[in-house]
Amino acid sequence: MKNKTPQREGPPRWAVRFFRWYCNDHLSEAALGDFMELYDRRRAAIGKRKADLLFIGNVVAFLQPFALRRKRQSYALNELAMFENYFKIAWRTMARQKMYTSITIGGLALGLATCLVIFLYIRRELSFDKNYANGARLYRMYNDFRGPDAARWTSLPPMVAQIVKTDYPEVEKSGRLIPQKWQQAGSNLFRREDQVENLYEEGFVYADNELLDILEISFVSGSRENALIKPNSIVLSKRMADKYFPGEEAIGKTVILNEHKDTPYVIGGVMADFAADSHLHYDFLLTLTGVEFWPGEQTSWCCWNYDTYVRLKPGADAVALQKKLTAIRDNYLMGYLAQTGDQSAAEIKLHHFLGLQPVKNIHLNPEKVEDELRHGDARYVWLFGGIAVFILLLACINFINLSTAKSANRAKEVGLRKVVGSVRGYLIRQFLTESLVYSVVSFVFGVLLVTLVMPFFNSLAGTELSVPWQTVWFIPLLAAAALVIGVFAGLYPAFYLSSFKPAEVLKGTVSKGSKSSGLRSALVVFQFATSIVLIIGTFIIYKQMNFILHTKVGFDKDQVVMVQGTNTLRKQQETFKEELLQLSEVESATLSDYLPVAGTNRDQNTFWKEGKQREDIGVSGQIWFVDADYIHTLGMKVVEGRDFDKRLASDSQAVVINQAMVKNLGLKKHLGERITNGNGVFTVVGVVENFNFESMKGAIRPLCLKYANGGSIAAVKVKSHNLTSTLASLAKVWNKFMPHQPFRYSFLDESYARMYEDVSRTGKILTCFATLAIIVACLGLFALSSFMVEQRGKEISIRLVMGATTGSIFQLLTRNFVKLVLIALVIAAPLAWYMTQKWLEDYAYKIDVTWDVFVLAGVVSVIIALFTVSYQSIRAAMANPANRLRSE
Amino acid sequence: MKGTYLGEFEELVLLAVGILFDDAYGLAIVDELEHKTGRPIMMSAVHKVLVRLEDKGYLKSRMGGATQVRGGRDKRLYTLTAAGKKVLSQSRELRNSMWREVPKIVWEAGAL
Repeated sequence: MKNKTPQREGPPRWAVRFFRWYCNDHLSEAALGDFMELYDRRRAAIGKRKADLLFIGNVVAFLQPFALRRKRQSYALNELAMFENYFKIAWRTMARQKMYTSITIGGLALGLATCLVIFLYIRRELSFDKNYANGARLYRMYNDFRGPDAARWTSLPPMVAQIVKTDYPEVEKSGRLIPQKWQQAGSNLFRREDQVENLYEEGFVYADNELLDILEISFVSGSRENALIKPNSIVLSKRMADKYFPGEEAIGKTVILNEHKDTPYVIGGVMADFAADSHLHYDFLLTLTGVEFWPGEQTSWCCWNYDTYVRLKPGADAVALQKKLTAIRDNYLMGYLAQTGDQSAAEIKLHHFLGLQPVKNIHLNPEKVEDELRHGDARYVWLFGGIAVFILLLACINFINLSTAKSANRAKEVGLRKVVGSVRGYLIRQFLTESLVYSVVSFVFGVLLVTLVMPFFNSLAGTELSVPWQTVWFIPLLAAAALVIGVFAGLYPAFYLSSFKPAEVLKGTVSKGSKSSGLRSALVVFQFATSIVLIIGTFIIYKQMNFILHTKVGFDKDQVVMVQGTNTLRKQQETFKEELLQLSEVESATLSDYLPVAGTNRDQNTFWKEGKQREDIGVSGQIWFVDADYIHTLGMKVVEGRDFDKRLASDSQAVVINQAMVKNLGLKKHLGERITNGNGVFTVVGVVENFNFESMKGAIRPLCLKYANGGSIAAVKVKSHNLTSTLASLAKVWNKFMPHQPFRYSFLDESYARMYEDVSRTGKILTCFATLAIIVACLGLFALSSFMVEQRGKEISIRLVMGATTGSIFQLLTRNFVKLVLIALVIAAPLAWYMTQKWLEDYAYKIDVTWDVFVLAGVVSVIIALFTVSYQSIRAAMANPANRLRSE
Repeated sequence: MKGTYLGEFEELVLLAVGILFDDAYGLAIVDELEHKTGRPIMMSAVHKVLVRLEDKGYLKSRMGGATQVRGGRDKRLYTLTAAGKKVLSQSRELRNSMWREVPKIVWEAGAL
């Protein structure tokens, strides 16, 4: 019996534990003793199994009200008093160590503020287009080309909207929208019929009347049912109606666009401004009723310009419908292609499908459909979210590190509390209360900080966020978050601090805070690894941005002023140009609708070699109408042949093509070859070097420049560096011609930079993040180093007395930290490399990620770390050792 | 009446505590009662009554007397209080006086 293990001998342990759990303290010890005694006796008499069963029987039979754990009322008062004491002690500790307290709270407040801002940002990004009554039934149609050059885009031929409604019973309503800059969509000069002055306005789109209902556009005056139903009707947003018709009823009034007095528009209604969380954001809706841009346009299948929205009937299955939509391709498009003998017919039959994108997906666009809108990027949303959480984590780490490092100061308190009868649970509760106090105070500061930096963040990220004080959930959410963060950050320190053994502590054998130094180092490495990844990421984004903005793009974007709206000059365009050239500041000028920056006209054509239309697959490319001064004004380089010559009459059918067009068409002898876009045949007289006219994310596509005069933009190359006076003289010329129109201009290089606004915005946000992360990490490091100096004070003094130099002391104190930062660098570098590679994949023209970035990031972080630690280290090394040693 | 009424089982338990004098704890009382009454006694019933009697002030208890068989656990040792003794003797008085009032004839008739 002696050699049996005690567990084997005794009754089932779970039964004992169960009994202990439910039974009150008054009885549990004595009753359990009785059970055991009885059990022993029974086991000897009837064996273990039966004794076990009877033991369980005893336990169960005891489960009666008299034996249950009761709540003692007297406790509650006691506990309240304890909590009071906890708060008092927390306050005293915070007040005594002002530096540590402010570092912990400051770091935590920074982290929380970042998290809060990013939370609001993510919330907004995810909230787009969620407010439609029939939101689940709204879809936007898109083309899904699944061939080798897979692409998804929104514009469809004009007929599709009607066909989809008549052929498919699932579709309840369908409507079209033209959002891209095309015809009068985009921007126009705008005036009331009864006034002379024009103003330049943006945000024009063409829309079907039915679209108003589908997108549930609400009206201030007029109605959704018929606002756009009459030909030549227009709908204004509330803010535009207020601007042009203040205090008047706008509905029924007549307005003129671009001085086209023969086709005035009549206001059919005033709609409420689009909400910030709508994917649409237009101010003028032009009707599509009775519109035909050229004869036969509305029934043709040649030209794809219409975004098409549908509302399905309740209960319709979108996935099934999407499959059935292929019939539109087979029944209509294929017929047209066969008729024109298009060689790509076979490929289209194989690869071209139609898709339905839920309207609520449009903003973040997981389907990756190309369109004209400004999208959010789900990757950035999660990336920023992740970074914000990391920064908060860094702040929590500061708290953990400091409270475990400073544990020696609390050890005596813990020991004494235990001696006087505190159990571990109470101590854990005490330290959690303390960390909750920290967390709540940090939250208060954090929220204050958010309200302060909100405008700054908004201008940085191009958003209009605000702290949602009014909402019901915001304050409770903050409270809950404060609780969670407080417990999370406090958990480890609480368990660590409460585990001290009173005897050891009071004897003084617990070494001061050295116990968890391994963990502390790991956490410091984690902090710095995170910071370094962010630093490297920021460097790479800035390098790429710099590359985009300053690399040779194939044209000269400096010193070019774009004067907008020259199309309204009509027949005077050439005279205007001549007058510009008279100015001494002007080097050259050109008129065109097309410029290699976003926001100017674009189109889509298909090119073949002459006569090969029915044999070859066409090359898709753009055709730009430019005048003879275009190429040299924009500093493009003709690599073969010649520029246009206005003296040659034959040049009216001449084109200059770019190198991509030469390559894709497979032209053998380049010059003199004849190409066609189906409408006309052109002779190639020159080849221009490839220049970027779209985003750097894609490769340069084929382009054909055709000779023509006139356009809506005058690009003026100026000699003078005094831009103010140059602009003044340009404006003078303009006002001579057009006294009733505003002189509008922009700079080519700025327009170009605006194309990459998103990148520079991401760069700026990341810089903020990296700075924050570094600040938080350094705060922690600073506190740790000062703690270390404090702890090793005597050692340092003795070393100094024994003849150590200031330098060697400094080295002694900083070596460890530098080592940690170097380890962090080793961990962070591959991670950062991988992430930046992924990001750069988006760009066809990109920088190489070279080692110097990593070295730079390493050097920067080491210097920052060294700088942080050195203050305390130098102070320690310079101190007079006598002062410290004398106190003993 | 309130608080002073003593049930049959309660009385037995009180008496058992008296009998056991210095070593009156749960199991010993159970043993004693089983031995005296010859019927099986539930341990929980005994503990329940002990708690109630202590609440009424007839018993007081202290911890002590741990032995190896009990896994080193203390016993809760009960002793009678003055009130306990008083209520027992009251109970006996009551019975005695009632006994006395039963006519002798009843007992003799029973012998028929």
